[in-house]
Amino acid sequence: MEDIQAVKRVKTFILPDKCFENRVACAWRRGNKFSIYPRSQIPNKTTSESDNKTADKILVFNQEILLFTPILRKLVNEANGTFLSLKKVTETSKNTENQVEYLKLSRQYRSIIRVCIENLQEAGEKEEDAVARNNLLSYLTIFYSIECIWHLCEILYIDIIPGDIVLPFLLEWVRFHFPHHEQSAVQLLESCERGSEDNPDYWDTVVGMVVQGRVDVARALLKLHSAVDTNEFKLVDNSLRSMPVYSVYSGISTGEFTISWKHWQAECRSKLSSRLLAHQPQLELIMRIMTGDYSAFESIRGKYSSWFDVLGGWVMFTTPWARRRELGAAAAACAGLAVGGGGHLDVMVRAALEGDLYLVIHEIQQMADNGWFATHLTDVLLQCGKLHILDKHQTDVTSRLRDSLVLEYGSLLLEHQSLWPVGLSYLASVPDGARRAELMLERIPIRTEGKALRVVAEAKKYGLLGVAQSVCSCMSARALSRGAAGAALAWGARARSAAQCARAAHRALRAYCAGGALPAADLLLTAGATLLVDDTLLLLGKYCDFHRLYKSREFKKAAKLLVSLITSNIAPDYFWATLLLDALPLLETEEPVLSAADSYELMLCLELRAACLARPQAELLRLALARNLARTALHDVQHD
Amino acid sequence: MPLNVQGTFVSQKINKIRWIPEEYVETKNFFTGSWDDDVNSIKVWSFESLNEDQDVEIPRQLSEYKVEGDVTQIKFTDKKTIAASVSNGDVKMLEVSVYDKQTPLREVHTWKKLHNFGAETCSCTSLDTLEGDIASIGEDGNVNILNGRRGDVSQAIKGADSCSLHSVCFIKLNEVITGNIRGHMKIWDIRSSTNKPAAAFLLAGDELAATCIVHHPTQPHIILAGSESGALAVWDLRMNQFPTSLLNAHAAGITEMQFHPENPNKLITSSVSGEVWDWSMETLTKKAQEDCVPLEDKTAMNVNTLMPVLHKAVNTLHCDRGRILCGADNEAVYLLKNYKY
Repeated sequence: MEDIQAVKRVKTFILPDKCFENRVACAWRRGNKFSIYPRSQIPNKTTSESDNKTADKILVFNQEILLFTPILRKLVNEANGTFLSLKKVTETSKNTENQVEYLKLSRQYRSIIRVCIENLQEAGEKEEDAVARNNLLSYLTIFYSIECIWHLCEILYIDIIPGDIVLPFLLEWVRFHFPHHEQSAVQLLESCERGSEDNPDYWDTVVGMVVQGRVDVARALLKLHSAVDTNEFKLVDNSLRSMPVYSVYSGISTGEFTISWKHWQAECRSKLSSRLLAHQPQLELIMRIMTGDYSAFESIRGKYSSWFDVLGGWVMFTTPWARRRELGAAAAACAGLAVGGGGHLDVMVRAALEGDLYLVIHEIQQMADNGWFATHLTDVLLQCGKLHILDKHQTDVTSRLRDSLVLEYGSLLLEHQSLWPVGLSYLASVPDGARRAELMLERIPIRTEGKALRVVAEAKKYGLLGVAQSVCSCMSARALSRGAAGAALAWGARARSAAQCARAAHRALRAYCAGGALPAADLLLTAGATLLVDDTLLLLGKYCDFHRLYKSREFKKAAKLLVSLITSNIAPDYFWATLLLDALPLLETEEPVLSAADSYELMLCLELRAACLARPQAELLRLALARNLARTALHDVQHD
Repeated sequence: MPLNVQGTFVSQKINKIRWIPEEYVETKNFFTGSWDDDVNSIKVWSFESLNEDQDVEIPRQLSEYKVEGDVTQIKFTDKKTIAASVSNGDVKMLEVSVYDKQTPLREVHTWKKLHNFGAETCSCTSLDTLEGDIASIGEDGNVNILNGRRGDVSQAIKGADSCSLHSVCFIKLNEVITGNIRGHMKIWDIRSSTNKPAAAFLLAGDELAATCIVHHPTQPHIILAGSESGALAVWDLRMNQFPTSLLNAHAAGITEMQFHPENPNKLITSSVSGEVWDWSMETLTKKAQEDCVPLEDKTAMNVNTLMPVLHKAVNTLHCDRGRILCGADNEAVYLLKNYKY
């Protein structure tokens, strides 16, 4: 059984024939993308021109994602704001009841959906291309059902209903989502003509209004009938007028109400059985509906597109005192009116009425909205404490379900070029989202430093320091490959990566040895504590400082610094020659700046590293050192 | 009337937003520049009121000019011409028609790949304009002075910085100040032929990028810079080694600052942390001329938040009298009305 279901979900794509000649292979790319490529290449050797061209192609597949169309991106962004507000509400009030806030946020979600529907409608009207318009219309259908289900779930699980009497809310739901009859009623009432029964929709509209619980409108419509003064009309009007309506604030107990309501319905029944209405079959139908006659509902069912159109009426005329949890039977009865199986929406509405949220969510997941609805609805219901789902071992998996939905949705958004911060904020709100976010964030293509800075900022915001560091390291490596030592050092320092800094510093030193100018002098002179990240970087920084001192003719300080650089032994082998030869001009200054002790140190280093220098250079240095020693032997340099 | 905030989602992350000035009436039109999308563009919008409801005004797109890369800065060179920098290294001058805003933007001048690493693209990170001159900076560390009337490069300071530059501002006709990714500020004399800065100083000790620079509209020796850390530094250029004040302000990087054009004591800032703040700058700027500032005055800053904090970065703002436009990373533009200045 499961196998068959699994097979049903498999989609088959036909690849161009040529692909398979060379044995295809497949590789995942970032996110929901994969590519198919030939594993062996057969270059076309017939002509020299097409040498490089083969018939092989690399095919890239990616899932088309509905939410990434411009109109729906608004929905994604706006809903993200509400999602984060909801998260904040739950965090700030862990223990207090916050039903009012939740209701407000749930309404906010619904208004977002409404705006989206309106945008889609507007775009649909403007669109001239038939295919695009069809797409928009199919999106519209999806979001209509989303709105419908969300509203119902809000009534059943989130709303605060006084006394838990759900009927007025249910009627409101029916009216809101099936406004067809109301519209024609408005038309009829606006024209306000006696004898409106000539209008072909007249009776359907009256019945529709009764079924939707708009008793006052139905009575007003009946007054437009040319035979309104006959006894039959007066009778029905009277019955409609005297129908008891329950309200928590009316001061009557449920029991009392039940008695008066049953009494009223018995009266209606007796009027029916007295055959007073036999000449007016339509009025009789209305009366039968009012008595909650199943066959009457059956007879009007055909006029409605779905069974939940009549749900409000059924509850109203059979069990108006029904509470939220008691709608299962009514749903079953109404669903039974239909012939044949229902669609997704039917299953969802019925499951919601029966309190089977697991089934609702399961069905929602089948909708083609890329998980937007399932994620947000599950989240709201969970935060309200209304969602309890047990797995087959009777363990509570509610939050796991919610987490996995949020995780999937977040990952989906993280793939998008522009929506990645939105996806990140979803992943950050689930326990194991950080790990996934890390993996995906690292793979975001970064073309400019501006984006790199933003990615780093976002990563730090959610504590993904590893990502921040690796992005900086990558930027550093990239700058280095361009030969921009300064930028490489700046990013390396940001990454606090010793290896990157060392590489950049080595590159700079080698460039200098090769005869270039000392790069990034402006940066190194102000680098401060950053220099301590790595020895080579420290050498570079200090060497830069040496140049500055030398240029500003502070020879004594320069000499001191140079000696400390030489004696500390941190210079790489290739740099020794430069470092030692830099001592040469300092040894030849008019006033000696290197003391005897310094000269001994330099001599020692020179002898140890003689291999670094060419012979004549070494000789020259030895001579200079000896002369300096001679100068300072009598009167040594005083360091302050 | 209380401050009124109204957001509209536009399906693109907005990096720059600018009112288009009008001669005698309150303007209804504005530019946006987007970033970080598959295709980015500079768009012209107009606020239109819905039916009879006069209070709610919805922006409608009038024209779109597509660019290759992120729009990093938009500045006016005159009332109808903007200079825009793009992350592929281009600088463009575009003109909007005075009479019919719906006509597509006209390209006046384009400097293709003005900033580059040889063959590789390099982002032009920002620009500033002054009387038809444009100073552009890029990740290559170069400063280019462009002549907007003739359309040529009048001066290029190659290797002005060893790392990437992120903010620039004209101080005088012949002086620009730049800020780099490590918070080094340098002042350049455009007339001098040596590639040496006239002055250099540090934004803060934390070595984070200087994200934006502005100068005080009436006291041009006062310079403000925003840092990537959210700090705000104020310099008096007559003694410029250290900032006269360094305020830890926003929780994350400052993205844009603007002095109110009508009231130079008001500064408005936006930040990556999603905040839009309004500062009263009397104490900071006036007292800075004297040698000592009473300590209690210096700490007393008057800062208000203008908008509920967004969950995503606010990238840009622009104000025109009592109305402030903001563009944010949640792909929305916000209009704040009835701002008291």
